[in-house]
Amino acid sequence: MRVLVVDDEAPARERLRAMVEALAGHEVVGEGANGAEALDLAQRRHPDVVLMDIRMPGMDGLEAARHLTELDSPPAVIFTTAYDQHALAAFEAHAVDYLLKPIRKERLQTALERAGRLTRPQLTALQARAPLAGGRTHICARVRGNLQLIPVAEIVYFMADQKYVSVRYLQGEVLIEEPLKALEEEFGARFLRIHRNALVAVPFLEGLEKDEDGRHLVRLRGVAQTLEVSRRHLPEVRQRLKDGVNLS
Amino acid sequence: MWQGGGGGERTFLPDFCSVRTLLAVVIVAELLAFVLALASDWQHALTWDLLGLISLFVQWVALSSAALLCALRGRLSRLDNVRAGVMSYLLVLAVTLLISDAAHWIMVYAGASLPPGWRVDFVLRNLFISAIVSALILRFFYLQHQQKLQAEAQAQARLEALQARIRPHFLFNAMNTIAALIRSQPERAEEAVEDLSDLFRFSLADPGRLVTLEEELDIARRYLHMEQLRLRERLRVEWALDALPLQAQLPALVLQPLLENAIYHGVEPLAGGGVIRVSGRCDDGRVVLSLHNPVTETTRPHAGHHMALENIRERLAFAFGRQAELRLDKTGAECTVTLEFPVHEGGS
Repeated sequence: MRVLVVDDEAPARERLRAMVEALAGHEVVGEGANGAEALDLAQRRHPDVVLMDIRMPGMDGLEAARHLTELDSPPAVIFTTAYDQHALAAFEAHAVDYLLKPIRKERLQTALERAGRLTRPQLTALQARAPLAGGRTHICARVRGNLQLIPVAEIVYFMADQKYVSVRYLQGEVLIEEPLKALEEEFGARFLRIHRNALVAVPFLEGLEKDEDGRHLVRLRGVAQTLEVSRRHLPEVRQRLKDGVNLS
Repeated sequence: MWQGGGGGERTFLPDFCSVRTLLAVVIVAELLAFVLALASDWQHALTWDLLGLISLFVQWVALSSAALLCALRGRLSRLDNVRAGVMSYLLVLAVTLLISDAAHWIMVYAGASLPPGWRVDFVLRNLFISAIVSALILRFFYLQHQQKLQAEAQAQARLEALQARIRPHFLFNAMNTIAALIRSQPERAEEAVEDLSDLFRFSLADPGRLVTLEEELDIARRYLHMEQLRLRERLRVEWALDALPLQAQLPALVLQPLLENAIYHGVEPLAGGGVIRVSGRCDDGRVVLSLHNPVTETTRPHAGHHMALENIRERLAFAFGRQAELRLDKTGAECTVTLEFPVHEGGS
């Protein structure tokens, strides 16, 4: 099987590589140091299995596993962790397997064999539900068949448009298929509903203005465009703007 | 003392069914008999007959009381300490009363000529003696029990202090690093095992003890060496220590947990790693050590972090009272922990 090793610690990656390569029938096709690298490598090297550390800088292993299910042929994810009792309890039901570091050779072999027997629907069912503590740090979009990661911190707004949601971020715009309602639930702490069809990032709120038809529009930092605020959400937007002014 | 049978309840009364306690009861009763015999009759020489008689009586009271306390153990252990104490006290007094009166009747049947009023006098005297002695004994049991509880609590606190210091996260990651190094760089693996052993030896010693600043800095460097093997170029440490009084004393393992926090919350969450700056100076007989680490967006106030700080604060307060200080400042992209304590050199 083709194995991708992902861990932020170099010695841990080296050990895993040596162990996988000592097992017959398995080869390491890449090494990544965080979740984003894992996604990138997974698209280019098409591994069957990803051995993934949970606690990593940037994007952690749990989130990367969830994004991986977006691939056409998602790899099976086996989590590795030195000690993370809370995470263990949380993902136990959602991972193909997990290994405790320092990993034993026999355990690694069993886990790889088990991963090889899983069918794609089984994998997706397991990994797509992996719970995340405090929401994703990135949004994953498909751009011309490739996965593109957009840091949540750079997203200015989400705008629902028929079947898709348009994600406007500092460097551009992409379409995703997630419902606005689910995004609001996941990122409610950072994004504010201003209209039936739009969520804006509170840190990007700049000011309110009125156009000649008497509609209220919100100005956002980093984008030229203004967005309409519905009457129903106007008081909340005003309040947030006021809080923002007081803070700065 | 743990009471074995009665549902595990804790009472300060010892187990009167056990042979050891019974032996103690017999010995204490006999000593009391000696005291009473020695103090009894000033005009006549002390005879074995008198000692035998008093011993017989005191042993009867003591052993009957013990037998009753043994039989009622289940019930007494369900009561709180005050009630159990009062109940057993009254029980011993009742036994004394009954046996004193029985002794009087035995004397009457044996044909002893007793002066009028002797019966009441005899019973009252015995009751007073029993009241004083059993109060003393109960008090002794109570204090012994308290002492035992305190010792247990201390042992527990010590264990907790230890657990708060060496994080499992660190231990297992270190083990994993060693497992990796054994294959690729065996010499490094050896160093890591030595460092880890030193660190554990240091942390397993008496948690309340004081060490010199030199030892503390040394163990901090060993810890950083371990983490360096694991995080490699991601962990960069800059030392800026002025001339410090290296013989100044401070509680052991104050610096290491602060460094551990800085790495866990400040360096590990950064893909490119970060710099930890350790600076130290000595002003006016006070050592000031500061630790700076980067703050990341994902660094949130962490319960474990504050627990570690609280633990250190308590130990500093224990050693220096109000003269030591531990401050945490977060400004923008940096977190600074400052530790300040007076210079006390060893032996003073």
